[in-house]
Amino acid sequence: MKAVFTFSLMTLRMLFRKRTLWGILLVILLALAGIAAVPSFDVSNQGRFVLDFGLFGIEVGALLLALGLAANLYPRDRETRTLMPLIAVPLSRWQYLLGRFFGAALIQAAALLVTCLGLMLILLFHKLPIPGDLLPATLLIIVEGWFLLSTVFFFSFFTSPPLNWPLTTMLFIVSQMSVSEFVGILPSAPGLMRAVRMLLPHADVFHIKDPIAHGFEIEPVYFLIAIFYGLCYSAFMLSVALAVFRGRDLK
Amino acid sequence: MADVHPIQVIDLSKQFPRKKGLGTVQAVSGVSFNVQQGEIVGFIGHNGAGKTTTIKCILGLLKLSEGKISLWGGAPADSKIRKRIGYIPENPDYDDSFTPMEYLSMFASMRGLSGVDEDWMKLLKRVGLARWETTGIRQFSKGMRQRMSLAIALQSNPDLLIMDEPTGGLDPIARKEFREIIIEENRRGASVFLSSHILSDVETICNRAVILAGGKLMAEGSMEDLLGEEHLYRITVVSRKTGEEVEETIPEADLQNRIDALRRDNLPIVKVEMALKSLEDVFLAATGKDSQ
Repeated sequence: MKAVFTFSLMTLRMLFRKRTLWGILLVILLALAGIAAVPSFDVSNQGRFVLDFGLFGIEVGALLLALGLAANLYPRDRETRTLMPLIAVPLSRWQYLLGRFFGAALIQAAALLVTCLGLMLILLFHKLPIPGDLLPATLLIIVEGWFLLSTVFFFSFFTSPPLNWPLTTMLFIVSQMSVSEFVGILPSAPGLMRAVRMLLPHADVFHIKDPIAHGFEIEPVYFLIAIFYGLCYSAFMLSVALAVFRGRDLK
Repeated sequence: MADVHPIQVIDLSKQFPRKKGLGTVQAVSGVSFNVQQGEIVGFIGHNGAGKTTTIKCILGLLKLSEGKISLWGGAPADSKIRKRIGYIPENPDYDDSFTPMEYLSMFASMRGLSGVDEDWMKLLKRVGLARWETTGIRQFSKGMRQRMSLAIALQSNPDLLIMDEPTGGLDPIARKEFREIIIEENRRGASVFLSSHILSDVETICNRAVILAGGKLMAEGSMEDLLGEEHLYRITVVSRKTGEEVEETIPEADLQNRIDALRRDNLPIVKVEMALKSLEDVFLAATGKDSQ
């Protein structure tokens, strides 16, 4: 595992030095600042509005970070031949995949925590209360971000980055849909659509922005189950990605 | 393990699917050879002969269509075996946001090596990058990237060096330095498998050569065998048309007949001398292309 750890740090350092990370982070923070600048109807609504849209902004940020950081990692490694010295000798394919994933996941988590901090500052600036569940809610979004990251890695082994973006975004949108909404896409085959929806990820488990915005308390066990679900799904996506990667000829 | 060859390739074949599913392309077909302990083996062939494909099969980067490859009797994917290999890829490149020192430190950690910065400085000095240890790789020329690649390959004191066109983009002085390092590594005990277009390099440092053309093995043998099978002679005659001296190289077996023919034609023979056979002559003969 030392090789995976070192390669994760190498990936982290590489991504930290790229402009992509800072560009996306800036966009998210500007969007959050923009949300806070929207005039609200009354004082009691403003907190709810900022929290609801702020957490939504962080969630979209997780998607942007997953795509921006990881969609081009493997294709670029292949194109620039930086992959060859790595895979040929010091690293196995699974070590390469996990190293890249953990490196990107760490930096994505750090970036999302920065956006959470940004949201807190906005709430403080507007003299609004900071709910106790804001940090756990961000943690759930981070886990969702890791799931999206694993999806991006999965697609990156057989598609180009321009195709990876719409495919991951589509899965992100579908994963937010309830079963009834999904069945509504093809009402003539409800059984099939239900079955497909059951197989597809349920990212809605990561969304607690509405209860938080409305001041409801969330049971700690819910967080644990949601995190466990997210980690399991990420591991599943990475396993499938590895199976695809192992079958690839590295010309 | 001592009597097992570092590289053994048996009946290797590799096909690639054509684009849009239109059949397959045979890149390598029925190739067998080995690299013995302590040898420097040259691997030569035209562009597209299948050299890089064979090397990538040896390293497990490509799946074999047919045949078997073993490294010291084991599978190329075995992590213990991979640790014994140093590899220089064709046109190597590295993430350009790092410096050579950072790269070497990270590769050392990934390989489980215990060296310190001082060791890597010595290594960079050895490959001619001493003044560049903290310079971003983005500023490196092609030749410097190749030196970087050599440093990474040598870092673990490998038992087997696999080099794919390592001197391609280098100037003559750098090529000489590369050759010297390869010889030093060989003296240390490393076996070397060197793919190169530069036949003079192969001829200078290799004990044996494997010649590939069209994905097939055309010749294989020690340098003595390949270069010494038959003697060549160079005849210099004066051209009747231009009056200039013209050279002609022919095998020993044809020498007398050719001299008789020239005498019959009343062509003045200036001199007849033994010509040293070069690897280029062997290569062109083996691959069916004559320099004339």
